[in-house]
Amino acid sequence: MTVVFRMEAPYRGAYELHRLSFGSGSPSVAIVAGMHGYELTGLHAVNMLATALRVSRPKGTVHLLPLVNTFGADENQKRWPFDDQDINHAFPGDPAGTAVQRIAHALLEATHADVCVDVHSGAPHVRELPHVRVPMGGEEVELGRKMGLPVVWRRPGDRLDATGLVGAWRQAGHKAVVIEGGRGGTLDTQHSELIARGLGALLGHLHILPAMPGPGVLADVTHSEVETHRAPFGGFFVPEVKVGQRVQAGHLLGYLQAPIGGDRLGELRAERPGVVMTLRAYPMVHASELLVRVAGIPQ
Amino acid sequence: MPIVEPVISVEMPSGEDVQIVRRRFQGSAGPGPRVAVVAGIRGDTPEGIRVAHELCAFLGQHEAALSGTVDVYPCCNPLAAHRGARRWPFFDVDLNRLFPGRQDGHPPDRVAWALSQEIADADQVIELRGAHPAFREAPQAHVRHRDGKAAELAMGANVAVVWARHPGPAANSTFAYQHPGTIVLEGGCGNRLTHGVGRDLREGLLHMLSMLGVVAEADLPFHWAALQRPQVVTDEEVVRVRTSRGGLFLPEGTPWQEIEAGQPLGSVVDPVTGAACEEVVSPVSGRLLAVREQPVVFPGSMVGRVVTT
Ligand SMILES: [Zn+2]
Repeated sequence: MTVVFRMEAPYRGAYELHRLSFGSGSPSVAIVAGMHGYELTGLHAVNMLATALRVSRPKGTVHLLPLVNTFGADENQKRWPFDDQDINHAFPGDPAGTAVQRIAHALLEATHADVCVDVHSGAPHVRELPHVRVPMGGEEVELGRKMGLPVVWRRPGDRLDATGLVGAWRQAGHKAVVIEGGRGGTLDTQHSELIARGLGALLGHLHILPAMPGPGVLADVTHSEVETHRAPFGGFFVPEVKVGQRVQAGHLLGYLQAPIGGDRLGELRAERPGVVMTLRAYPMVHASELLVRVAGIPQ
Repeated sequence: MPIVEPVISVEMPSGEDVQIVRRRFQGSAGPGPRVAVVAGIRGDTPEGIRVAHELCAFLGQHEAALSGTVDVYPCCNPLAAHRGARRWPFFDVDLNRLFPGRQDGHPPDRVAWALSQEIADADQVIELRGAHPAFREAPQAHVRHRDGKAAELAMGANVAVVWARHPGPAANSTFAYQHPGTIVLEGGCGNRLTHGVGRDLREGLLHMLSMLGVVAEADLPFHWAALQRPQVVTDEEVVRVRTSRGGLFLPEGTPWQEIEAGQPLGSVVDPVTGAACEEVVSPVSGRLLAVREQPVVFPGSMVGRVVTT
């Protein structure tokens, strides 16, 4: 483990950005987690992968940065606690800039690799089935598929914003994908395992590790194949499914009831067969908030 | 009497409705422009909200004598203001990074969208803010770089500086970029009311309304000759001063005081021992536009802005 960046911090020990590196030469892979301090499912997954890498002989280089925002993680915070700035909006960073700009700069410098992965979780009020987010086309789609995570989501244009890590990686000419899984502020070990297996499968595909299967892709979708259910009105949302569950058309996904008194106000039903990819966890919901995403599975 | 109407109402999960309100003052003295004055996009800007209410009080007394329409939105982020916090709660988003908003999005997105619609056909938009929470600032107006018309109007805003700013990376998602010619007024201390600053900004706002022909000059409760003549600056003339060490920054200056190149802006001390770590000096001669008052700093934290003269 090496400290790739250090910055003194008032009232506490210095901030340190830690990197675990395995193997040498090409191809190279960099995997980052915990940029948002409370997203810990990915941290656990990356540590699982580190355990596997310690007892293997990788052919190529693997850089793991399991926890970027240590100070945020200490406090169950997404952003950098001092000034409440999002590190993922501070790229490409600046070595002479603010704290988050310095961290962003150091992180980008420490992760130059052929293939780069940034692992996130959902916000604390939603749970995400581990899935990989890739562009609409290009080599990254195939890399994403090779992970074998339950859902491959091809998305147009987004995440190209160069103030984010993935956009900065792509601007630097690296292939970059995002994994999203679990829920902010909580640990779901099964989701961590799925992500760890997906990362292992990616390293196998790149011949850095022996080939190993990922968990298995259930749905490979674009935006139009993701069924998004939003709250038609505010209320108390009671889910009737779990993330990862397969549903058929007409399946009851959940219902909204009056928070006080419990009158049933409306129901959500799946329109097509698919797998539940996103599920609202915090039950008090505003009108138009996302409640359920179902990734379509062709029959 | 002004027409008070909700621009949008946000239904809370528990059933309550939270409204963003517009107070419309419709003059009857003659035709004139429609001016939108928007405050409280962030919940930690009570100075702007105070100025909006003082403006409403004035306009209420002089409504018949107005030419044109003034729409005042005194508080656009009521749930954040309720907590004295910058961001919209629960969603934990900065409303000033969501513009132009989305009609079908979550509540803060819909509020941003509704406000964007509201100002679309305004002739002039003025946003009232406070200072950044960590700073004390001289009263200032921000306009877009190369927007000569807005800069000319802002010359009447009774501020120390009119800052013609280049757009930053997030500019497109801010309220001030939704309507060309928008003028932003800010000053004072973050999340606080500052003696004198509210009055300066209120008088500047009324003066700009008279320059726009909405308020009759004879109705102004002050003489225009008493107003400040701002210095117009671009980004190149506003120098950020940063610390190189982390610790406690102890400031020495006050906003708008003169400062020489090499003169200390303050010092950084070790927060545990109090030992001096760094003397932070101004790299240029000029005047202090902003001074950090929240003392905890990391290496690279901004502790002041100096306008070169
Ligand atoms: Zn995240």
